[in-house]
Amino acid sequence: MASPCQWVRGVLAAYLDGELKSSTAEAVRRHLEGCESCRAHARLLRESWGLLEEVPPAPAPTGFTERMMARIVEEKDLSALASRLRPDRLRRQVVASVLGVAAGLVFGFAVYSWTGLPQEPASPVEREVSRNVSFLEDVDLLDEIAVIEAMDRLMSPDETGDGA
Amino acid sequence: MAKAAVAVARSYEREGRRGAAADYDVGLMLAFQKGNELAFQELVERNQSRVIGLIYRFISDASNAEDLAQEVFLRIYRARKTYKPTAKFSTWMFRITANVSLNALRSRANRRDDVSIDQMSDFGDGPRAMPDPDSHLPDLHLHQRELQEKVQEAIQALPEKQQVAVILNKYEGMSYADIARTIGCTTMAVKSLLARARDNLKDRLLLYIRTGRGRQRVS
Repeated sequence: MASPCQWVRGVLAAYLDGELKSSTAEAVRRHLEGCESCRAHARLLRESWGLLEEVPPAPAPTGFTERMMARIVEEKDLSALASRLRPDRLRRQVVASVLGVAAGLVFGFAVYSWTGLPQEPASPVEREVSRNVSFLEDVDLLDEIAVIEAMDRLMSPDETGDGA
Repeated sequence: MAKAAVAVARSYEREGRRGAAADYDVGLMLAFQKGNELAFQELVERNQSRVIGLIYRFISDASNAEDLAQEVFLRIYRARKTYKPTAKFSTWMFRITANVSLNALRSRANRRDDVSIDQMSDFGDGPRAMPDPDSHLPDLHLHQRELQEKVQEAIQALPEKQQVAVILNKYEGMSYADIARTIGCTTMAVKSLLARARDNLKDRLLLYIRTGRGRQRVS
């Protein structure tokens, strides 16, 4: 069983802070009136508590809001970047890219197979060049014909001069 | 501050009054939750001094107090989607502030490597780094600055929970019930914490009281 002094000292801080029920506070007050030792204890508690006021408050901040909001902007940028680099999102982006390239290749091959290449040139100049090119492709054949005709002429009697 | 944000906050404040806890800051937080960034800016504007002041009480370092205050508001910003107005905004904000401050103190202690990890357990009431008793011998002409340092040392030497309770009670004027909500314990536990804290402070500052530097009148 705690002595009255022990009990009072256990609740003295709450008494000094005004945190006791009125009936309890009244009992403490009555005890302090008659107990020099507990009054001295209460005085030390009060004075030591009062020393805490010697520590000054922090200096008032200036421009804190602006710096804070700038940091929030950085936070948003970082969040956006982190969101883009999230492994699941990154994986989805890679898969989508690969599928896109594959689809492009398949489509290109299908178009090539269906239409055939090369295509007819589009402009008149291109068409003219194309015709000349096809003529030149026959040059060898014409040369051979010319050679045969020349041999025929050489082998004919008129050409040998024997008819004189 | 923009009138639009104020109007939105007031409308949410009215909404908040129907809930468990209502104050203007809760209204701002709810407005921010709905996407009003100006409401967040006003929250910062309104609370920065209290947050920086509270951090300063913990770490006694004005230059780092602002960085840590930014960390507190950043946590509030990130929590906008999950925030629920179940208590006063200041209760929630002070809990975040105390956690950020204590984390900083633990990091500082780890860097100094002069306190064992066991002694710095989370909100534990175990013994903290105790100043050398001989270092408490006061100079008769102790300067104000030195006295401030001794008081700060005495506060920082308290176990973490006692330290939080002392700072919230002494410097923020919070009731035992509000402190209990902030640190997540019962009012009776706060009563016990503060009784032990005040006894500890008395013992650590005893010699300075006897030099007559105590300011409060004793009845």
